[in-house]
Amino acid sequence: MSNFASQIENSKKEVAEAQAKIAELSGKIETARTKMEAGSDISIDIENASLDDVHAHAELMNSNIADLILGLDDVTSGFSKEFDGMRSKTGWESFVGIFSKKRAESMRQERVRMASIDDKLQDLIGKSNVITKLLTDQLDTLQTHKERVETNLTQTLVDREAAVHALESLKAELLAMDPQIIELENQISVETNAGKRAKLESALADLNGKYNEAAQMEQVKLAESQTLERYIEKGKSWVDSLQNQAATQMVLINKLKTDTKQRVVLYDALTKSLKTAQQQDVAHRINEIGIETDQEAQAAMSAIGVATNSRMAEMMESHEDHMVYARKVLEEKAKADERFARRFEKIIEMHDANAYGRDELGSTGNADGAGA
Amino acid sequence: MTKPRSNSKKGQSKAEQVSASEMLAFDHKVLEDAQATRRYFGKFERIIDHLKQVTKLSKKEGLITTAEAKILLTYLLGLSYTFTALSYKFLMANRVGDQASSLLSIDKTDSGFPIYGEILHMAADASQAEKHLKSLPSQKRLKQDMVNHILTEQSIPTKLQYALSQRIYYEYLSKSTLFLPGNDPQGIWISGKKNRDSRSYLIHWAKYDSQTNVPAIYMMELEDTGRKALPRDERRWPRVQSHLMAQSMSSLKLLTIARGFDRDFDDLHPKFMRRFNIGPMYSHKFTEQRGPLRDVLADAKGEAGLDWALSWTVESLVSEDTTQEKTGMFSSSQRELYRIDTLDSKAAEDGATEIARSLILPHRAFQVLEEKNPTGLRDIRKYVVGKNAKILSYK
Repeated sequence: MSNFASQIENSKKEVAEAQAKIAELSGKIETARTKMEAGSDISIDIENASLDDVHAHAELMNSNIADLILGLDDVTSGFSKEFDGMRSKTGWESFVGIFSKKRAESMRQERVRMASIDDKLQDLIGKSNVITKLLTDQLDTLQTHKERVETNLTQTLVDREAAVHALESLKAELLAMDPQIIELENQISVETNAGKRAKLESALADLNGKYNEAAQMEQVKLAESQTLERYIEKGKSWVDSLQNQAATQMVLINKLKTDTKQRVVLYDALTKSLKTAQQQDVAHRINEIGIETDQEAQAAMSAIGVATNSRMAEMMESHEDHMVYARKVLEEKAKADERFARRFEKIIEMHDANAYGRDELGSTGNADGAGA
Repeated sequence: MTKPRSNSKKGQSKAEQVSASEMLAFDHKVLEDAQATRRYFGKFERIIDHLKQVTKLSKKEGLITTAEAKILLTYLLGLSYTFTALSYKFLMANRVGDQASSLLSIDKTDSGFPIYGEILHMAADASQAEKHLKSLPSQKRLKQDMVNHILTEQSIPTKLQYALSQRIYYEYLSKSTLFLPGNDPQGIWISGKKNRDSRSYLIHWAKYDSQTNVPAIYMMELEDTGRKALPRDERRWPRVQSHLMAQSMSSLKLLTIARGFDRDFDDLHPKFMRRFNIGPMYSHKFTEQRGPLRDVLADAKGEAGLDWALSWTVESLVSEDTTQEKTGMFSSSQRELYRIDTLDSKAAEDGATEIARSLILPHRAFQVLEEKNPTGLRDIRKYVVGKNAKILSYK
């Protein structure tokens, strides 16, 4: 319990940090845009907006959450204890059994009647809801950021188009000016009249000034278009990254939801069929036969005790017929598992290698996440 | 999973073939469009209203006692609250189109109710309602935001609508007495002196059965020969409560539950026990059913709201004798023997003294039913909902 709570706290912190980092990066990209509109140089801003940091952190966070989801498996191992308990005798019951088999059996029966996993199921759903909340929050953040950056980008694309257009018209202008200048120069070289020559020269100087201005403008526009291009590239890769992160969140949510759904259905069905099988027959035989049932009941009980294992097997088989739903869920789970495995190969490996050393696992997960 | 069936005769039979094979593959159905979800909850709201009338009618007919009717009505009220809460939860879920917001799953074979998991989820939500209410903006704020959104963005504020539906859902959860997956036993004192003579109690509790996805209400009349009055006995009462909750499963027969209880509590004697199964609900639009009822509902379809039937089963178990059983070296205790007609193989199989089945259905479906008069449904009592929601009972 405390382990789970501390893990959740940990993951919450990670999520908050990841969200802060995402907000920071989106913020950088947005300020770059406003600066650009104001006309100042933004190359440094773009260089500063590095995705690596965000990625490293997102990976760390996701590995922690994946770990948390796998950790639910450990939480649910409590269920199988319950199932085993229903089938076998406790130490005390075996001890009593040495003196009175009947007493031990009736103690076990009583225990089966009291057994219930409803609280555990509720607990499982509660915990899985907490994790789902964490994941959906993150997903929401990712999606809003993606939308923001995308609208930003479409605007910038329009701007860039305008810049390229301006650049092209400048180039055309420069090209058109070339023959004019040559013509003027030629005229000057053949002109003998000083007055006319001075006029032509001043016209040439004028034209040259214009030409230089345009050439300078071309440089400015070229730089602007390049900056815009870099900005767009950065923005695009940020959108891609956000998209990818969102996909990861969706895989996690999907896995968690199908897992929980499957567990609730299967655990519940198993408990109930165990309880039913262990009680129904005995109760009937006792009531039918009436008073002199002690031996009879005992025989019935021990027969059922012996048959429990084979019965369990049969029951599971018959469940396969009736609980088609469970199979469907299992199929869904297989799909979710596959997607999950593809994304979290490393964590699963670690989890399998060291299922119980949770602390150690956490730290290796961190190191790995930071390194990746 | 299945699309709403088309109205043409040909399309319908084809759709049914498809859904018949789908039924084998999947017996849960996810309500995917908003209209279906709304229609589903609207239908249940009406049916639960009818159930209250049916309860009053059965009391008049002497089928159940006044105390039982009162208890039933409280649980039915809880059930209608639960459905209202769920209807808010899923009201906008289809519109948001988020991965995060899940859709309602119902059990489409032999239940017609939402699956157990949905009710468990709701209970988990209810336990955190206060926390959610603190973090969600108030209804007034949300509505204000919606107006702003509509005026400035000139689009439908779907996300805000969803947030508001969730806000109302949590408000509902925190305020109402809901029908939970498990509703713990409560006792009513019936008779007996306050001294050591035996006292009688009527214990009642309810469960949303996880196997059949149908709500079940349990009642048990107990004779208490213990030293301390049961509801005030902190040694026995909590144990009794958890025992009964753990044993309330549709797969256990009443006889099994009663016998087990009798054995585990030496000074408590279950004299009479009842289980009300509220459901399954059959509807031509939402569920798939086999047997004669299917044809009846298929023929009755047409006008919305007239193509359903709800089965209502009352199982009773009565003790007819007692016997003494040795419980130790020197002690013995009283055990109940229940009246079960062992010569009637069906009754012996039922594990109950009597099982009374009835069907609640609207007038249109009833007319078709009378016309067809299928053998399987001949002997059960029918409560027919007429126009103006007036209910008549036919044998």
